[in-house]
Amino acid sequence: MSHIDKIDIAARKKVAEIFHKKFSELSESIEKGSPPKLEIPMRTLANTVFDPSKGILKLGIRKIERNFLNMNETKKFMQTLLMASIIYQALVENEYPTIRDLYYRGKHTILFKDLNGKIKEENTWEEQSESDASIRDVEVMTGLLREDMLILSKEKGKVVGNMRIRSGNDIIDLSKLGHGAYAIESTPDLIEFLDYDAELVLVVEKDAVFQQLHRAGFWQKYKALLVTGAGQPDRATRRFVRRLHDELKLPVYILTDSDPYGWYIYSVFKVGSIQLSYESERLATPKAKFLGVSMSDIFGYGTKKAYLNDEERRNFIIKAKDVDIKRAKELMKYSWFHSKLWKREIDMFMDKKAKLEIEAMASKGLKFLAFQYIPEKIQTQDWIE
Amino acid sequence: MSAEAESEERIKAQEKYREMSIAEFFAKNKELAGFSNPTRAIYQTVRELVENSLDATDSHNVLPEVKISIKEVEAATDDKPAKYEVAVEDNGIGVPPNEIANAFGKVLYSSKYVIRQTRGMYGLGVKAAILYSQMTTGQPVFIVSSTDSSDNIYYKKLLIDIKKNEPVIIEEGQLLKRSNWHGTKVYLTLEGDWVRAKQKIIEYIKRTALIAPYAEIIFETPENEIYYFPRVTKKMPKPPSEAKPHPHGIDIEQLKAMVSFTKTKTMLEFMVEEFQSIGEITARKFLESIGIDPNMNPKMLIEKGNSKLLQVVATGLRTYKNFRPPRSDYLSPIGEELIEVGLKRLFNAEWVKAITRQARAYEGHPFIVEAGIAYGGNIIPTEEPVLLRYANKIPLLYEEREDVSYKVVSSINWKLYNIEEPMPLVVLVHVASTKVPYKGVGKESLSEVQELESEIKNAVQEIARSLRLYISKKNSERTLREKIVTISKYIPEIARSLSILSIPPDKWGTDGKNNNEKIIEKLVKIVSKSIELPKIDGKEEDPEKIVRSVIANVKLEQ
Ligand SMILES: Nc1ncnc2c1ncn2[C@@H]1O[C@H](COP(=O)(O)OP(=O)(O)OP(=O)(O)O)[C@@H](O)[C@H]1O
Ligand SMILES: [Mg+2]
Repeated sequence: MSHIDKIDIAARKKVAEIFHKKFSELSESIEKGSPPKLEIPMRTLANTVFDPSKGILKLGIRKIERNFLNMNETKKFMQTLLMASIIYQALVENEYPTIRDLYYRGKHTILFKDLNGKIKEENTWEEQSESDASIRDVEVMTGLLREDMLILSKEKGKVVGNMRIRSGNDIIDLSKLGHGAYAIESTPDLIEFLDYDAELVLVVEKDAVFQQLHRAGFWQKYKALLVTGAGQPDRATRRFVRRLHDELKLPVYILTDSDPYGWYIYSVFKVGSIQLSYESERLATPKAKFLGVSMSDIFGYGTKKAYLNDEERRNFIIKAKDVDIKRAKELMKYSWFHSKLWKREIDMFMDKKAKLEIEAMASKGLKFLAFQYIPEKIQTQDWIE
Repeated sequence: MSAEAESEERIKAQEKYREMSIAEFFAKNKELAGFSNPTRAIYQTVRELVENSLDATDSHNVLPEVKISIKEVEAATDDKPAKYEVAVEDNGIGVPPNEIANAFGKVLYSSKYVIRQTRGMYGLGVKAAILYSQMTTGQPVFIVSSTDSSDNIYYKKLLIDIKKNEPVIIEEGQLLKRSNWHGTKVYLTLEGDWVRAKQKIIEYIKRTALIAPYAEIIFETPENEIYYFPRVTKKMPKPPSEAKPHPHGIDIEQLKAMVSFTKTKTMLEFMVEEFQSIGEITARKFLESIGIDPNMNPKMLIEKGNSKLLQVVATGLRTYKNFRPPRSDYLSPIGEELIEVGLKRLFNAEWVKAITRQARAYEGHPFIVEAGIAYGGNIIPTEEPVLLRYANKIPLLYEEREDVSYKVVSSINWKLYNIEEPMPLVVLVHVASTKVPYKGVGKESLSEVQELESEIKNAVQEIARSLRLYISKKNSERTLREKIVTISKYIPEIARSLSILSIPPDKWGTDGKNNNEKIIEKLVKIVSKSIELPKIDGKEEDPEKIVRSVIANVKLEQ
């Protein structure tokens, strides 16, 4: 199998061993006649804890038991094992299923007779949401992420910059992609960092802004690795950014709209999502800095001058909607938004009830955004952590 | 004469006085005995004959064989109903030849005017049928009968002289008996409406067969259909025996009659000899309590001028508290076993249970209430339970809503017994007594005697409680069975998954051992062990059997 590279094969082998070991335990206990059960760390908000020393969201220690003999759990028990078996099969057979593939591979009909002797049909799962939940169960049970299991998802994130990587058997120069960019692959851990010439990582929320900065030559001028998650970042993008930070020791700056949704995207990069707190350990970048756009950029604060004049403010500011206010109130509950600067930021938002899209800065001139606003903010350390 | 006195005179002058025989009375008031129309008449005729036949058999320890036949002898015309010959034959004790004429030709002549639990009690039944027959067709009744000890078979054709209430023999004779047959066969011809009565008559016979599963009953309809109810058991209830009266049930007229018949010489003897359950001590105490000399001659009570004394004794008998309760060992209940057999046979029911309660008494008459419940099986679910009423083993089909049993059964909240509407439920109530409190001589419904009502209630509720237990056991068993299905149907899938996961990565593709079957076996044991099915009627099922049958039927479609 020459097309499969070494890293890939090693990764598969390791993961397959973990699977085999974990589920052989269950087979052995069944062999002994004990009631079959799976221990699965709880994936609910109540079992999500913020680890202040690491600055990330983590799964708590609470576990649930999924008992085969409990009528209410028996189907999920079956689904989890079914999912584990098809992932395992894909691993040892050198396949790269997507989560949609896994859904189809596991979906089949169980025919049985009910008490009245009527033949009944039941599908192993109906919706993909059910098979996705099983994937998450397998992830927390094995302590592995789907990326580790070589499960693919749609690629969303992109990167350009002065850097060479190995992906599969190819070496890719991230500075020689023209107007295009490298799509961050679903298995970012299989990427090998070869060499680079960069001093910072800039993550922008929006794909359009990414393209503008790319064409303006921002990354060449400021020795940046330019990344976008194109909205809500996928797991691969977050893992990739985290690796850039950890392995290359580069500072990570995040640039989003000036509104609670932008803050939330920053928060996902920084501490992880609540829904998937079990992956934060490996996906979150706690040291990521919120570069802007901040409220003080719009309105100024103390001695700091605003980047917008009165007229621009009148033209660009959008009035916050109820959902924005609601979301802001939600965010205020999380401890990592309790720092002095974040408080000030959110208070200003609540006070002004105003938000701003980052495109507004660009419309002041792309040059302004690329060569004045961003470098100045970095230089003056005008960010929020 | 004043105008007022004049009109009074006129009214008086129009009144004509005469005596009416009891035969004429019932001939004129047919509905009182249940002969209100051609439909009821043919139904009632069958009933009276069948009940006499059963009295002549099971009350005398003879396993009944009863043959009923109805034939159309003259078709209906525009203004006249059809004529039918009804014939009923039994293998009973027969009627002594010298009693045949009166037993069948004289209203209020009976062998059952004793304190004994029989279906018949008034001495009217067959005569009411004969009167109806005679008035609608003019035909005599034909009776053939032989007692066990007799060498002959006697037959009589007779009519009733309605004015005199006396039999008129039309023809009679005797034959030498060649076999050892004994029994009675009665032929009657009457106007009736068979088509309308058919369902009720069949229902009546069915219910009779239910309560007397020891009887063999054959019924041939005018259409030559045969309904055959074979004997399903030879077990018969102990026949009723005759009892002396209980003092609480005595009124002044009965007391007079008893005194005039008695051969005893003292009041003490009279009390001990003529009444049930009275010993010397009780008799003395009683007589002392009403101030009567135990040595007084009982005949004194009916001497002129002693009516006060008679009154004192009569009241004392009815009200004295320290007599023992009426004896019930004379009674002949059907028994729990026979009721259950009967219910099972008729409804092929899923669950049946019957109860025979302890004897109780009302107004000095002992009675026993029996009840049975059948549930499920062939019973068609309805809004309220089907009620089968019996009194002294007679099925009661009419006047249901007037009956005390209906009052009790319809007031029960069946939901409290885990029974949902519509319910596949049959409730049977049987009242056995030396005096059944019928509402009328047609014997169709029972009065709301308070003691009776509360006994019926206790009986039905007691069985209903066992039924509730059965249903809740069954429900919980069903839930458990459902649990077995819910869990077991995944066993093959789980075993398949686990057997894949248990192949080590480096052994993949080599035909390493597949432990699928082994895991299935283990899981079967684990699931079976985790569930214990409740015992129902002493039986419990092995959960493993269910688990295996579920798995055997599972198919995994790819
Ligand atoms: N099939 C029979 N076998 C033996 N005796 C019979 C038969 N039919 C009638 N008799 C006798 O004739 C008598 C009169 O019967 P009848 O039906 O008129 O009155 P009953 O049965 O005594 O009371 P009831 O009016 O309540 O039916 C009975 O008491 C019984 O002695
Ligand atoms: Mg009779």
